[in-house]
Amino acid sequence: MHDINEERDEVIRRIVDELKTLPPVPADATARVLARVDAARGEEGPSRFSRRFIISLPAAIGYALAATLAGFLIRGAVPQRPEPAVTRTANSPVGETLGTRRTVVRVAANTRALQEAPVKVQFVLDAPRANSVTVVGDFNAWDGSKTPLERDSTTGVWSALVDVHPGRHVYAFLVDGKTWTLDPNAPRTKDLDYGTQQSVRMVGMP
Amino acid sequence: MPRDRLARRIRWTLSVAVLMAARAASGQASQGLDSATAAAIAPIVEQARAANLPVALLYAKAREGQVQHVPVAKIEAVVRTLADRMRTANDALRPGASEQELHAAADAIKSGVPPETLSAMRKAGGDGSLAVPIGVLTQLIARGVPVERASMEVVALLQKGAVAKHFIALEESVRQDVLAGRRPDESLDLRLKGIIPNLPQSANADAAGLTTSTPRRPR
Repeated sequence: MHDINEERDEVIRRIVDELKTLPPVPADATARVLARVDAARGEEGPSRFSRRFIISLPAAIGYALAATLAGFLIRGAVPQRPEPAVTRTANSPVGETLGTRRTVVRVAANTRALQEAPVKVQFVLDAPRANSVTVVGDFNAWDGSKTPLERDSTTGVWSALVDVHPGRHVYAFLVDGKTWTLDPNAPRTKDLDYGTQQSVRMVGMP
Repeated sequence: MPRDRLARRIRWTLSVAVLMAARAASGQASQGLDSATAAAIAPIVEQARAANLPVALLYAKAREGQVQHVPVAKIEAVVRTLADRMRTANDALRPGASEQELHAAADAIKSGVPPETLSAMRKAGGDGSLAVPIGVLTQLIARGVPVERASMEVVALLQKGAVAKHFIALEESVRQDVLAGRRPDESLDLRLKGIIPNLPQSANADAAGLTTSTPRRPR
């Protein structure tokens, strides 16, 4: 039994040795292969497809400039989301559990963004004789065209639902496009910048 | 494609792009303002933009003046003051503030809130938005609560874990009390007694047998 095993091992060893030995390679083989490859490339040249899309350097620069300008345009035209607020990591339980500062900043920014999501707020003015009523305030950048109120034909009451971020907001109604009118149902405050009276609305979180 | 034809196409593309860029830039710059107001505030806006401040607030403030027919010089002065307040608020709310927080903080500074209070609020409020707490602070001051007292109480509430709903409830209660004839600071004292025991950190302190102390003055 022992002899049979030794004999089998010997045979396997020989087979392995035989397989390990590579056939001799001529010294100039590599050079010849490379020369053939170069020759084949030269014969083929660029394909019909690639020839069609090869452009000169000035054209490439022109396209790049146009693309850059288009990028700026799109950036300017599309309303940008507010940059995520970078928040501190100190004393943050989130930071302790999730680890890296990057994660903490992202989670905190998301938390804040959720808390500051706008909520629907109703503005109402009883003005049966008015032809038009709009609300202007810091929530619509004081743009009267953004938020017209709708008149209830039976009651003459004007109202609108407006998306407003949580916080303290000041506003007024513009009646018939020109008359600055305060909300009779809201507290008033004097604006220290322009010296006018404004209505105040506190808006909670969703 | 012949080279001159390609060059023509590039020139055409560039011309269109430049025209559209100019148009978009001018539209964005005016933001619905008349040309005189837009020109007057342009340098202030550029400085604010360079400081990474949200310039939309400056445009809104200018429009607020415009809708009330305020002279351009006055609008310019107000916008400049707002930009200064936003810079101060941004520093106080470091390392970062959302646009809503900056808006609220700039208003608070206008009402006399010191930047140190805003920093203390950021420290006490953790990662939560301060837009509502700062707004309530401003409103309490507007109702007649002294700045120092209101600041101290709002910071203390944040330290005890108060969130937006607590601040809104406090402000509403004080509003009703003042309407009923109660003094604002007296109403604040009264309503705090109803809110503080329900705050998370007050409950923890009670459970641990700790006594609640008078809130410290914000540093």
